[in-house]
Amino acid sequence: MKYIPTIGIECHVQLCTKTKLFSEVDNDARGKEPNSCVSPVDYALPGMLPRLNGEAIRLAILAGRAMNCKINENSRFDRKHYFYPDSPKGYQITQYYAPIIGEGYVELPSGVKVKIEHAHLEGDAGKLTHFGSYSLVDLNRVDTPLIEIVSMPDIHSAKDAHDYCKELWRLMRYAGVTYGDLYNGNMRFDVNTSVAPEGSKKLGTRTEVKNLNSFRSVERAVEYEIARQTKLLEAGEKVVQETLGWSDATGKTTGQRSKEEAKDYRYMPEPDLPPIHLTTEFIKEESAKLPLMPADYRTKFGSVIAGDTLEVLLDYPELMQKLGEIDEKYVKNASNLFASVLLAEEKSAEYLNDLPSAKQLNDLAEMNEKKELSSTATKEVFLRLFDPQMRGKDTRAIAKELGVIQENDLGALEVIVDAVLAKPETKKAQDDFRAGEEKVIGFLVGQVMKESHGKANPSAVQEILRKKLA
Amino acid sequence: MKVDESTVKHLADLSDFRLNDDEVKRLGGDLENIIKYISQLDELDTSDVEPTYQVFEMENVWRGDEILPQDANREDLLNLTVETIDNQIKVPKVL
Repeated sequence: MKYIPTIGIECHVQLCTKTKLFSEVDNDARGKEPNSCVSPVDYALPGMLPRLNGEAIRLAILAGRAMNCKINENSRFDRKHYFYPDSPKGYQITQYYAPIIGEGYVELPSGVKVKIEHAHLEGDAGKLTHFGSYSLVDLNRVDTPLIEIVSMPDIHSAKDAHDYCKELWRLMRYAGVTYGDLYNGNMRFDVNTSVAPEGSKKLGTRTEVKNLNSFRSVERAVEYEIARQTKLLEAGEKVVQETLGWSDATGKTTGQRSKEEAKDYRYMPEPDLPPIHLTTEFIKEESAKLPLMPADYRTKFGSVIAGDTLEVLLDYPELMQKLGEIDEKYVKNASNLFASVLLAEEKSAEYLNDLPSAKQLNDLAEMNEKKELSSTATKEVFLRLFDPQMRGKDTRAIAKELGVIQENDLGALEVIVDAVLAKPETKKAQDDFRAGEEKVIGFLVGQVMKESHGKANPSAVQEILRKKLA
Repeated sequence: MKVDESTVKHLADLSDFRLNDDEVKRLGGDLENIIKYISQLDELDTSDVEPTYQVFEMENVWRGDEILPQDANREDLLNLTVETIDNQIKVPKVL
């Protein structure tokens, strides 16, 4: 019997606001000491009240629109109760009954559409580090604004699960709502997987793999669960509904061995935060700030940039934005340099923060197309453009300094060619060529190149030589 | 509604309370009385009434996204805990 997998994914996205969701304390704890970005509100001291960050609402609107979602005019917060040392309040403030982001969809590069059920705003929990007999608590992450994006069970393969997570990552970065640093947990995925016999109207029993932070882990965990569950069903056994952990090292999911009792969070309206009411005009105004999305760039550049190259470049919103500023006729040229030269560089990630100007890139492409720069020289100048000291400097001036501009001036080239042909050591080659030995032309071109210190345009040189030796 | 001992223990667990056997027995009865009293409200038909989410009739109380100095610093806050290691709060092992 054939089994069909069904997958739904919950994704937590940390928003890149300056301050936390409910207090005016630094939200960017990167490289900062434990518990140094913590307010009395995060610490849940008695009497402390949350104060909602308006920027988180604006970012939530952008995130929602990036996923083609309806933005709900009315939303509000609820308390989700549980006791754990990562949450001093004893509850998480979330949006259980009335989330800010409604239904929508994400379209994968393959064309598959994954429906979004809803997405809501909530505060993150602190970070626990476990040691032999104790755990340590760092509250820097408490109430970092999150949006939790809940997909419909619309995904039916490990590959699509991977692509969905990756597309979400792209959308959130294009929308500018998160730093999107997966290694540091800016986006985390919980994956629900079940399998059911083909044709069955009912979904199978699902398992949830929590806290995955790479697309590859998502893909591998789903592959593993599909295989494991299918094997159980084929053997006539049952899948147990449980929460699992994933190990990249072993490539396996394992039960968390916690008591599997029904969760009882005792949700209640958060009395300290008045509801959110967004007017149609406000939603429209904020939505208009959404920049071009990957799908827009696919439409815009689909006929100019090769599909594979485009998908690679789409991982870098900064590059796509830059390509959007470049003269249309040079987009292909510049995109090839981005893909084949820049991204191959070891320091390419640093370079992305400070890209050359559109004019510099236009000029470079023009010089390359006019053969003033050989392809090697183009790459050299291109990389030089990323030196912050070159900012604002003319591409032609930089190329001149590097001494790599090709000599295209036919008059000047002729002088060099004549000088080479006058040399006794080229006499034999000239005779051989006239006698019909075609390949000797290469030797002569080489001699001219040498004489010009590599600046002559080889194809122009060849043309002149052929004329002279005819 | 019957509140048996296992329900009381479950509620105590959720609320992080430690109860002795006496309290477990007594609280079951107390809770039953409380629920019975509150249940009088069930006589009313509230199907057309919007639940109360707040009592102040306010909406959209937002603040700007600016970092402000806090009334207590890390040391003040960590001083409130029993034990710290390297500026982190030490707690019994949880997993």
